[in-house]
Amino acid sequence: MNALEIKNLSKSFPGFQLDNLNLTLPMGCIMGLIGENGAGKSTTIKLILDILHKDSGSITILGRDNRENIRLTKEDVGVVMDEVGLPECLTAKQVGKVMRHTFQNWKQEEYDRLLTKLHLPDNKRFKDFSRGMKMKLGIAIALSHGSKLLLLDEATGGLDPVVRDEVVEMFHEFTRDPNHSILISSHIVSDLEKLCDYVAFLHNGKLLLCEEKDELLAKYSLLHCTPEELQRLPSFAVRYVRKNPYGMEAVVERSGIPADMKCSPIGLEELFVFMVKEGR
Amino acid sequence: MKGLLLKDLYMTAKYCRAYALIVVVFLVVSFFGNENLFFVFYPCLMVGLIPVNLLSYDERSKWTLYSGTLPYSKAQIVSGKYLIGLFAQAIVLILTAITQAMIMHRDGSFTFSGLMSLMAILTVLSFVTSSFSLPVIFRWGVEKGRIAHAVIIGFAFAGGAAAGMVFQPGVQMEISFGGFLPIMFLLGIGIYALSWYLSIVFYRKREA
Repeated sequence: MNALEIKNLSKSFPGFQLDNLNLTLPMGCIMGLIGENGAGKSTTIKLILDILHKDSGSITILGRDNRENIRLTKEDVGVVMDEVGLPECLTAKQVGKVMRHTFQNWKQEEYDRLLTKLHLPDNKRFKDFSRGMKMKLGIAIALSHGSKLLLLDEATGGLDPVVRDEVVEMFHEFTRDPNHSILISSHIVSDLEKLCDYVAFLHNGKLLLCEEKDELLAKYSLLHCTPEELQRLPSFAVRYVRKNPYGMEAVVERSGIPADMKCSPIGLEELFVFMVKEGR
Repeated sequence: MKGLLLKDLYMTAKYCRAYALIVVVFLVVSFFGNENLFFVFYPCLMVGLIPVNLLSYDERSKWTLYSGTLPYSKAQIVSGKYLIGLFAQAIVLILTAITQAMIMHRDGSFTFSGLMSLMAILTVLSFVTSSFSLPVIFRWGVEKGRIAHAVIIGFAFAGGAAAGMVFQPGVQMEISFGGFLPIMFLLGIGIYALSWYLSIVFYRKREA
């Protein structure tokens, strides 16, 4: 069973359209949604949760249609949005009490353990938390009710590098259980590069690609060369080209490049930027 | 549902303390001889603002969006606010009824029908104010809901002033509502129930 299946999903707003999105997140895997601001990442997550109503297509979460008893489905889905919308006057302790009466599978001991692990005071009001602390509290809630799927929208934003690393490790730990999966969107592509098994690139509401990360990074390379060298390459191997003051920079398919040509590995961020800017 | 109510109780305790103080002050003022009906009507009208205020805080803290990620139906989210409103209004109505009964006893003018007549009017006023603003908020957000609330409060005060011309303060009611009493109670509760239903319908259609 897949943790998440999105088929032909479309949603229109004035000035924006999420167009015919198809994604499949296998159980036990982590998928990163990469896209610039306004690409449709948050819209996708809101559509999955039926906070926004889709125009067409289908969404299946943990084997259930997302319009069918979404309340039951949400018991199994932990969500952290880019802003954790908890009431400002509540303390972490009071939030725990509210959540205990919200989720059937609420695990108070796990919540208390995470508050300690993430250095969150239980008697300080939410409005006095820093952005990083707010995100950590959101993550603690999402991990304390026996979630099988985590939907994380910019959940690592606002965290300092040390805490981000800790949190990324917590997500890794979460997916050690083969029944646990994560869909995460982030601007910080380095986090996704560390974390994800699959990546999906979204641009202007369209899916540019959705592939296994390791395969993707093995498939493409970055080539620095002269215009003449570039001319000699088979056209199918050259995907995106950029001119810089020192010559040419190209994203190429490794399989189509002569063995004697020196290529360097490409990161997800570089690949995404090439696809968006040079693919226009 | 319990979680939603608990969260709203925490918020009410934090943000609406002033309301409790105002209710007590107004009841004490009305008891110690101020015969202006404003002191009787105002706490009942004001308490209808509690769910509106809670929704305003929810919108500001982005709870409106976050609650959509929790295992609650939209009907439950709406119902939480109506139940809090019902609870607060019931407390104020009961306190007002006790205060007015004491005033009537003190003045030797107590009649059960007189007290019930006043309470029927207060029930309608109290429920009507939030009944108009809450569906507007659940459909279009807090800002427009506040405008609706201000408009309805204006109408309520106009009604209160008109009632003041008919009834003597201290609730020496000469007019018996007779068979209209239960109808007035039902009218107040019926309007609230209709508003509750409309809010659920509107909120289901609303996208965060």
